[in-house]
Amino acid sequence: MQTPEARTLAGIARNPAVAAHLFTLMALGAWAIAATQVPPIALSGPWTTLKALGAFVTDPNQLAHTAYSLLHVGVAIFISFFAGSALAFLAHYVPVTALMVHGRISPFLNAFSGIGWSLLALLWMGATHTTVIFSISMVLIPFALVNMKEGLATLDRDLMEAGRSFTRSGLKRFAMLTVPSLYPFMFATFRISFGVAWKVALTAELIGGGSGFGYLFDLARQDYRTPILFVVILLIIVFVYVTDRFGFEPMQRRLQRHYGGR
Amino acid sequence: MAAAERALAKDPAPPLGRRVLSRVLADGLVVAVVLGWWAMAKTLPASVLPTPFEVAEQVWLLLTDKVYLGHTAASIVRVLLSVLLALAIGTVLALLPAGLPWASDIVHRRIQPFLNSFPSIGWAILAVIWFRVSDFTAIFVQVAILIPFCLINISAGLKELDREAIEMARSFTRSRIKVFFKITLPLLLPYLVGALRIAYGVAWKIAIVSELFGTGTGIGYLMGEAQQSAKPALLYACCFAIVLIFFAGEKLVLDPLSRRVRR
Repeated sequence: MQTPEARTLAGIARNPAVAAHLFTLMALGAWAIAATQVPPIALSGPWTTLKALGAFVTDPNQLAHTAYSLLHVGVAIFISFFAGSALAFLAHYVPVTALMVHGRISPFLNAFSGIGWSLLALLWMGATHTTVIFSISMVLIPFALVNMKEGLATLDRDLMEAGRSFTRSGLKRFAMLTVPSLYPFMFATFRISFGVAWKVALTAELIGGGSGFGYLFDLARQDYRTPILFVVILLIIVFVYVTDRFGFEPMQRRLQRHYGGR
Repeated sequence: MAAAERALAKDPAPPLGRRVLSRVLADGLVVAVVLGWWAMAKTLPASVLPTPFEVAEQVWLLLTDKVYLGHTAASIVRVLLSVLLALAIGTVLALLPAGLPWASDIVHRRIQPFLNSFPSIGWAILAVIWFRVSDFTAIFVQVAILIPFCLINISAGLKELDREAIEMARSFTRSRIKVFFKITLPLLLPYLVGALRIAYGVAWKIAIVSELFGTGTGIGYLMGEAQQSAKPALLYACCFAIVLIFFAGEKLVLDPLSRRVRR
């Protein structure tokens, strides 16, 4: 039952969801108006961007670059996850290495600049896929390491003790108790890594690669093809938003209900 | 008490031998990496891997030579300004739904995801097209990159605030401004410092990309220059200078600030 106030336009606009949709429409309107006021090189309007998007998604060459970017991000996330987790496990199971991992390796990787890795990787390996994947992985490793460290610190010791009374096999305990307890943290690692990876992937591809969105970005920048810049940005925003909102968010809620933690 | 004893029994202080071994391993790794680097540098061309001494010399120049110091100082000033601006804007955006509840989806379902997924290099290139190469461009890009990190952290802090303390404060005064400055802000301080720490880290790690395209000064600009004019020692030195400045900021400003806020 709607209140009289809610029935008025102002009342409807005060509904957070409606207000958000109105905001989106206003932002699109502002974008369209701004595009008519400045040269096309500076701002590609919504309609021009939409047309460029149509051409983009039907061009096999552009789609190949999209696939390369996905490949770079996907492989880097997995490499950084395994490298970061391996370091976190090493520090946890061999405590004498904890200072080395958390006191030396982690702060160093955490403080090293992303462009630094890209430029150095270019120097070492040339413009290749390896360069791009390496640069993204090096930026992501500390995120995985810190997250998995947090996860290992919250392991239920009583549960681990109980596991010991059931089996002597460390491998079995690890696979059946430790790893499932870490699921929420593993998931959080993937979620954070996914967001950060797209932030640095383009830079890595622009500096050190001959393929992917970053490479397209560089070409578009040099030729002043602003609509392509907007298409790439739009695709990344939509891709990251949709994956996070409709993939990661519901999955994380389910994991939280099942395992607790984050 | 029993729980504390149990925790102590499970986490006893490591014996001296283990502590020494731990330190030997940690510092040994650093020494081994430097020695390995030096040995590799002798077999590889200097254009790929300069020696640690050449890089150390260049780092020293970056921190002492008048010209290089100008670039270093420019980066530091830009990072500090951007972090503070992003923190201010992030705080305002995070607080907006508290005053205007209908704006919550605008902030958390539109502005935050938009800024969070916008590629950093996208800001850098668009800002150069819009504002040309300038200090403003570099700061604009850095602020745009850092805002979502501040917004997420401060929003999380607002969710965790002690509602009862705020309710109680409201029973003492009707002035919302008074309640905000006397109760909400002090409760929010740890999250503000957390946001500051994250923004500071991201600024040096990712946002420095703004200097690669948007300015003619700064460490990011020097990195691009070093790569284009084949000066690998300078490139390595810029990377290590960033690590040093980052640590200095953490130890000299952020850590004491965190301790003060915790007290």
